[in-house]
Amino acid sequence: MKELMQSARQFAIPTLAAFLLGGAVASALAAEHTIRQKGKVFSAGELAIKKGDTVVFLNDDNITHNVLSITPGNDFNLGAIGPGNSTPVTFTRVAVVDIICAIHPGMKLQVKVAE
Amino acid sequence: MMLADRNRDVATTPGWSSATNCAIALCAAITAMAVIATRSDANVIVGATRTVEIPKQADQSIDQLRAAYRRPKVIPFPKSNPYTPEKAQLGKILYFDTRLSAANVLSCASCHSPAYGWGDGQPRGVGHNMRVLGRRSPTIINAAFGLVFMWDGRAATLEQQALGPIQADVEMNLPLNALLARLKALPEYGPLFKAAFAEAEITAPQIANAIATYERTVVSARAPFDAWIEGDEKAISDTAKRGFVTFNTKGNCANCHSGWNFTDDSFHDIGLPSEDIGRGKFLPSVVKMQYAFKTPGLREIARRGPYMHDGSVSTLEAVVEHYDRGGIERPSRSELMKPLRLSTQEKSDLLAFLNTLTSTLVPTTVPVLPR
Repeated sequence: MKELMQSARQFAIPTLAAFLLGGAVASALAAEHTIRQKGKVFSAGELAIKKGDTVVFLNDDNITHNVLSITPGNDFNLGAIGPGNSTPVTFTRVAVVDIICAIHPGMKLQVKVAE
Repeated sequence: MMLADRNRDVATTPGWSSATNCAIALCAAITAMAVIATRSDANVIVGATRTVEIPKQADQSIDQLRAAYRRPKVIPFPKSNPYTPEKAQLGKILYFDTRLSAANVLSCASCHSPAYGWGDGQPRGVGHNMRVLGRRSPTIINAAFGLVFMWDGRAATLEQQALGPIQADVEMNLPLNALLARLKALPEYGPLFKAAFAEAEITAPQIANAIATYERTVVSARAPFDAWIEGDEKAISDTAKRGFVTFNTKGNCANCHSGWNFTDDSFHDIGLPSEDIGRGKFLPSVVKMQYAFKTPGLREIARRGPYMHDGSVSTLEAVVEHYDRGGIERPSRSELMKPLRLSTQEKSDLLAFLNTLTSTLVPTTVPVLPR
C-alpha cells in the first residue's frame, strides 16, 4: 500500500507540474490585441486572432461604451464601461464573432478566431 | 514554476502522511484540470475590468468644432438600391398614396408629412381606425444618413422600415399580398414600376426600394447655421454662437446630437417617465438599453414639436429644461444625463442656436396618383 502511494505521488506531482507548465507555455504564446474606442469608433473593423488570444477593450473615449457580442454561442456583454477602463476578453474557440457597442451600434467589430 | 513549488511545499508538509500528501497532489491536479476544462467550455472568457490612464483629450477650437458640422455634398444611396429618377418618382407616388392602407385613408405622408417637418405634429402617431399609437411619428428628414431606423432601432435599413408600417395592424394594416393586388389593379401603376425596375411583375421589394429611394431624397435644406459653418459670420446671432459653444461643452448635447445631422444614431435613456422600454425590448440583458431610444437629429427642429419619443414635451424651452434637470435617475439612464445647472442666459443661448438649424420652408409638391 505504501509503495502504491509512493508511486502515485511520484506520478501525480510531475504530471501536475507538466500540466500547469504546459498551460503557462500556452498562455505565454497567446497574443494580446487592444481595441480602442475613441471617437465612437472601434480602432479596427476586423481583427484576425488565434484561439486563446485575448482582446483588450480599452475605452479611451470621453463617454461610456457597452461592448456587446451579438453572435450566438459567443455571447458576452461587458456592460457600461466608462472612460479610462479596459476589459480583457479571451476567445477560446474558432469562430467569427460580431461585436458592437450596444449604445452606439454604428461601432462594429468582427473578430475572426482561427486555430 | 511557482505552482510546482507550491506542490513541493504540500508534499513536505510536516505531520502529514505520504498518502495524504499524495491524495492532495492528485486532488490539486484534478481540480486544476477541472478549472481549465470549465474555462475551455466557455467560448469567451471575460476578465476583470481595470482602470487605465488615458491622455486627456485636448479641447477643440471653435474652428475645429465648426468643421465637424459641415454639410455633406452628396446623398448616400446604398449599392443594393441605387438612385434613379424613375425609382424616386415612383417612391414619391407610393409615399403619398393612401391606398397603401387597409382603410384607404393613411399614406406614409399621413404620419411623416412635409407640412410638419416630415412628422405629424402630434404627440403620438395615429394609425388604423384612429388608434393612437405608443410613440411619436419620427421625422424622415435626412433618413438617407441614418444607420438604423425606428425609435427602437428595429429596422436595419430604410427598405426594411418602409414595409413595416404598411403591414402593422395598428398602423396601415394592409398585408403585402393585398397591397400588391391593389397596385396591380391600378393600370397606371404598371408603367411606373416598369420604368423604375424593368421587371414584369410588381413585387414587395420594389415597393420598399422605391419608397426608400424617395425618402433618401428628403434632405433638410440649408439653414442659417450652415451659412455660418461655411464662413458667413453674420448668418447667425452672437447669442446663437454662444449657444453653439454651450451645446458642445457644458450642455453635453453634442455627445449624442453630433455631426451635421445632429445625431449619433445611438440609443440613450434620457430619463423620461415612461412605461415604454424602447430598445430594451430587443436587448433585455443590457441595462443601458432599458428606456433607451434613438437620438433624433435636430435639423428643422423648430418645426418638429412636440418633442421626445412620446411627444411628452411640448416646446423646445421645455426640452432644454428637461436636460438641465437631468431626468429620472435609474440604472439605465445615460451617464451624460445629470443636472447641468445652466444659467438663464445659457438656456436662451441654446434656444437661439437650435433655431438656426431650421431652414426656410420649401413647399413639397404632392404627386398626381395613378388610377
